[in-house]
Amino acid sequence: MSTRLEPGGERPAIRFDRVGQVFTSSDGSRVTALDEVSFTLRRHEFVAVIGPSGCGKSTLLRIIAGLVKPTHGQAEIYGLPVAGPREEVGIVFQQPTLLPWLRVRDNVTFPMKHKHGRVSATEKARAEELLEMVGLRDFAHKRPDELSGGMQQRVGIARALLHDPDILLMDEPFSALDALTRDEMSFELLRIWAERPKTVLFITHSIPEALLLADRILVMSARPGRVREIIDVGLARPRSMKTLSEPRFHDLANQIRAQVFRPEALA
Amino acid sequence: MRRTLLSALDRGAPLIAALLLLLIWEAACRLLTVPSYLLPTPSAIVQSAFQVPLSSWLDHTWATLRVSLQGYALAVLIGIPLAVALANSRLLSRALYPQLVIIQSTPIVAVAPIIVVVLGAGDAPRVVITFLITFFPIVVSTVTGLLATPPAMMELSRSLGAGRLRAVRDIQLPFAVPYIFSALRISVTLAIIGAVVAEFVAAENGLGFFIAFSTSFFKVPQAFAALVVLVSLSLALFQLVALTQRLLFPWSLPKTEP
Repeated sequence: MSTRLEPGGERPAIRFDRVGQVFTSSDGSRVTALDEVSFTLRRHEFVAVIGPSGCGKSTLLRIIAGLVKPTHGQAEIYGLPVAGPREEVGIVFQQPTLLPWLRVRDNVTFPMKHKHGRVSATEKARAEELLEMVGLRDFAHKRPDELSGGMQQRVGIARALLHDPDILLMDEPFSALDALTRDEMSFELLRIWAERPKTVLFITHSIPEALLLADRILVMSARPGRVREIIDVGLARPRSMKTLSEPRFHDLANQIRAQVFRPEALA
Repeated sequence: MRRTLLSALDRGAPLIAALLLLLIWEAACRLLTVPSYLLPTPSAIVQSAFQVPLSSWLDHTWATLRVSLQGYALAVLIGIPLAVALANSRLLSRALYPQLVIIQSTPIVAVAPIIVVVLGAGDAPRVVITFLITFFPIVVSTVTGLLATPPAMMELSRSLGAGRLRAVRDIQLPFAVPYIFSALRISVTLAIIGAVVAEFVAAENGLGFFIAFSTSFFKVPQAFAALVVLVSLSLALFQLVALTQRLLFPWSLPKTEP
């Protein structure tokens, strides 16, 4: 954990080489969550992963985070196999997962407090800066339950950015939000990503969300979880509300929908 | 005007109801001439309370309070760490849970005489009996609370590479605080019950002993007076635990007061 790799020039940020994950359930039956999954993420690339429930999207994220060890193949970050949680990775969960007894600013600095037992002045200043960036400067002293769902998820994002990770893993971060807040958060995330480039792996159920955000989209099939197709989005940046009405946006949406709902995908 | 009167009535309702009940009790006993060794009137209870010297009241109350608090403290000090161990080890919880259920299923009143024989005179047997009666709810409720921690929160902890102990201290235990306090509130009243049960079996002072002693001489009003003191003690301790939670962990309270 102490050694932090310098992101190397040509090495991919994340590389999956025929990664497989087999879970043995309590009744002894084996479930293949991921099967021969291979892909690479370039540094500061924004990649969305989309697929039906049970396609192993979350498992994939947990492997990169070092929370789950793959049963087959190898996952690498900057050319090194993932052996455990690493400092250059930040995670944003589906639920904001904030600590209800801590104020917003202490929730943002919680990773440092939790890991090292104390928070330095630099980190405190950085937390204020991040809260400013996610538009919550005036809410730093509030408790999470005084914030809306969208605001809570912003706190979750600020917290994931505290140690300035090079890789940001996002596990359906906006899925618990209402549609309007969701769009707002997508643009917010694009703004943050433009301000502080990161390699982002973004798991989602929403095709428009994936298209709006990502450079490339990994379309997965379920049971076993396989990569069905990798789509280059190629929509011009910066993206805006206008992007949503571009013909290419609709063509790609239809293409992905057809992939996700191909007969085998439903089997 | 009408509204303020109504709201005053609303606030005073519990007190008014209690006073009415006492009046009915008093009137019924007098009208039906119920003998005081069967059911004394409230006024007779108050009168008998003042016939007992204050020093004697203090002595008995302190004896019961002392045993209750010692047993309770022991249950908290052993119960919470045990709950942390059980919540974090499948093996340990598989091994120990059945024994805990057996202890809880054993009628404490039935074991009390045995404990007294084994541990002899002094506070020790009474403290142990109190401990046994208060311990189980604390363990069960704390385990439930610890396991109610959102899994993503524990994943966050693991992704940071913080140790297991830190996860317990920074995440699991605070998440369990509402559960722990609901057990602490119940257990503190159980502690009084435990102490009284123990005093029934073997004691030379304490409010439980005083009730047993009074009834054996048909001093029923005096026994009732001791009962009132016991209930007050129990209520005071319950409120003290609730106050502790309000002061130290205000965030752990439900949003609307029941």
